[in-house]
Amino acid sequence: MRLWLLEALVAFVFLLGGSLLVSEWVGGSDWSWVPDWFARDPWLLPVAVVVVTLPFLAAEPFVRYSVHRWELAGDVVYARSGFLTREWVFVPVSRIQTVDKGQGWFERMLGLATLEIRTASHAGSSAIKGLDHRVAAALAEQLAHRAEELRDDAT
Amino acid sequence: MTTPRPPHDPSPEDVPGTAPAPGGAPPGHGAGPPGYGSGPPARVPLRLSPKVLLIDPVRMLPSLLLPLLGVLFVGGFSARSYGWAALGVVGTVVFAVVRWATFTYEIFGDRLETKRSLISRSVRTIPLERIRGVDVSTPPLHRLLGLAVLKIDTGASGGDEEAGLDGVTLAEAERLKAVLLRRTDGAARPVPGAVAAEAGRPVERPIIRVPRRWLLYGPLSGAYLLTPFALAGGAVGLAFQWGDDLGFGQDTAWYVGEWLWEHPYLLLAVAVLLVLAMPVLGGVMYAVFNWDFVLKRRDGYLVAERGLINRRSVSLESARVRGYEIVDGLVERWAGVVRVWAIVTGLGDSQTRGQLLPDVPRPVAAQVTAEAVGPYRAALRRHPPVARNRRLFRAVFPWAVTALAAAAGVWASGTMLWWILLVVSLLLAAAGIPLGLDRYASLGHGYDGARMAVRSGSLRRSQAVIERRAVVGWRLRQTWFQRRAGVLTLIAGVGAGKGGYDAIDVSQAQAATFPAEVTPEWLTPFLRPPADNPPAGEVPGARS
Repeated sequence: MRLWLLEALVAFVFLLGGSLLVSEWVGGSDWSWVPDWFARDPWLLPVAVVVVTLPFLAAEPFVRYSVHRWELAGDVVYARSGFLTREWVFVPVSRIQTVDKGQGWFERMLGLATLEIRTASHAGSSAIKGLDHRVAAALAEQLAHRAEELRDDAT
Repeated sequence: MTTPRPPHDPSPEDVPGTAPAPGGAPPGHGAGPPGYGSGPPARVPLRLSPKVLLIDPVRMLPSLLLPLLGVLFVGGFSARSYGWAALGVVGTVVFAVVRWATFTYEIFGDRLETKRSLISRSVRTIPLERIRGVDVSTPPLHRLLGLAVLKIDTGASGGDEEAGLDGVTLAEAERLKAVLLRRTDGAARPVPGAVAAEAGRPVERPIIRVPRRWLLYGPLSGAYLLTPFALAGGAVGLAFQWGDDLGFGQDTAWYVGEWLWEHPYLLLAVAVLLVLAMPVLGGVMYAVFNWDFVLKRRDGYLVAERGLINRRSVSLESARVRGYEIVDGLVERWAGVVRVWAIVTGLGDSQTRGQLLPDVPRPVAAQVTAEAVGPYRAALRRHPPVARNRRLFRAVFPWAVTALAAAAGVWASGTMLWWILLVVSLLLAAAGIPLGLDRYASLGHGYDGARMAVRSGSLRRSQAVIERRAVVGWRLRQTWFQRRAGVLTLIAGVGAGKGGYDAIDVSQAQAATFPAEVTPEWLTPFLRPPADNPPAGEVPGARS
C-alpha cells in the first residue's frame, strides 16, 4: 500500500508543479483569449488542482489496496485490481506463456515486486503489483513449473 | 562488396532453378523434391525466374523518371545528357540483374533459406514447421509473364520479418506452396510415396465459388468508398509534384486554385460528381479485388483466391483457425449480406489475409463457415435492459452536451457558426437514439458447447465466433459508471485475431455464469458463493 501512496504522491507533486508552471506562464503573458479573472489571479489553477486531486490522493491508495487481490487456486490465477475501473482477470496456468518478475524504483525501496503473467493474448495477461519480492519469486517459480507441466498448445 | 557472378554466363547449376521440371516435380515426402536434393551433397540453391528482370526495371521506372527528365531538362537535350540518362537506365537494368543473380533460395532439409548477397550478405533461415501459410499473388505485370509473388507467413511480426520470393514462375510457386505446406503437415501425417506422386496436385475441395452477380453487393460494404477522393487527391498531389519538376512552378498552381475558388459552382459540381462516383468506383474496386472469390480446402489448409488484376491466393492452416468474425454494416444488414474473416493465431496482416468471404447472403455465409470452420448453433443471449440505457446515453449524451454548448453560444453571440453547430449536434443527438437502440439490439453473447460468440456494434456490427479451446483467459472490467449500473464488460482473451473479444455490458450474473459455462474447470474454484455476485469479492485471496 505504501507503494501506491508513494506513487500517488509523486504523481501529485508532478501535477502540482505542472499546474504552477502553467499558471506562471499564462499569468505572465497577456494573451487575449485568457479571461480577465484568470489573468488577475493565476494562482487559482494550482489551488483548483489541489482541491480536486486531494481527495483522490487520499483515497486512491486505500481503495486500491482493499481491492487488490490475487489467488492461485486449482491451476487458475485470479487477480483483482483497480480504483475507478475495476478489473478481474482469470488466467489458467496451462495457458501461461511467460512469467516475469520486475521491480521498479519504488518497489525496490520497499522490497516489493511486480509479477507479470503473459499469455498469447493481451486480454488474458495480467500483472500483480506490489507483492513481497520473496513471495513474487516463489510464485513465479511455481507458476513457471506448473505451466510447463500443464502446457497444452491450443494457441 | 562481394563481386556477383557475372550474370551473362549462367553457370550450369542455374538451370534447374530457372526451369522447373515440367509437371512441377512432385514433392516426395521427407527427402525433399527429387533432384532438388535436400541432402548435403547436392545443395542446389534456386533463383527467382529470370523473367523478373523484365519487371524490375519497369517497376523502378516511376521513381527514376523524374530524375531522368530532370537531367534531360537541365542538360538541355544535348548528347551528353542523353548519355547520362541512358547510363541511368542501364544502371537500373544492371542493378536488377545483379540483384537477381545474388538472390537465391533453397529448401534444405527442414528449412527454407533465402540468401541475399548484394552488398551485405544476409541469410534468412525459416524452419518449415514454423510456416503458417503461404500467400501467392500475381500483380498485373507478373501475370503477363506468368510469374507470381510468394509470401511466407511465419507468424513473425509482419513487415520485414516475412520472407518473400518476388518473381517465381507459377508452376514453381505451386510446387513451393505444395512443398512448404506439406512439410508443416507431413510431420504429423507422413504421406506414402505412392500418394505423394499424385499429391503434386493435392486434393482440393471447393467450399464456395462466389457467383459474380453477388459482386453487386460490393457498394453496400462501404469498402473502398473513398476511392474517388483518394484518386482525386493523388492526382492533385502528383500535379503539384510534377509541376514543380517540369517547370511551371507553384504560382501556376495557386493561380489555378484561385480560379477554381472563384467558380464555386464548378467546385461544387466536382464535389457532387465525386460523391456520386463513390458507390460506383467503390463497387468497381470491390469487384476488382474480390473477383471470382473461391474458398476451398486443400490438405488441412483453407485456401482463398480472389482478385481480377492481382489474383491472390492465401492459404490458412486449418488447425490454426480459431474461429471467425461475421461483419455487416448498417446497409448490409438491410440487404441481408455479411462478410466473414477468419480468426487465426499468428497471422500477420489479418485484415487482408484473413478474409474468408466477401459480401454474401447471410444463410450462405452461415453454411460456408459451418463447413470451413465449424457451426455456431445457439441463440445469442441478450444483455440486461440497463445496457440499453447505457448505449442510448453514450450515443446521445456527447451530442446533447455539444448542442447545449452551441445553444449557449447562440445565446451569447448569435453568430451563424453557433447556429450551424447547434442544428448539427441536435440532428446527431436525434440520430443517436435509433443508433443507441440498435447498438443495444446487437449486443449479445452465447455458447453452444463448442464455440462461444459475442456480438456488438451498429454501424459495423461484428459477431465473433471463437472455439472454446482458444480462450486463454477471462478479464472482467467495470468502470465506475458500470458499477453504478451493475454491469460489466467481459473480455475473452484469445490468442488469435484481435487478442480479446468483448461482451459489453453483461449483467453480474451473466458475467459469472458465462465464463463458468464455457470453461467450467477454471472458474469453479471461485464460485463458492453461488452465482449471485462472485466477481465483486468474496474471494479469500492473499493480500499483497
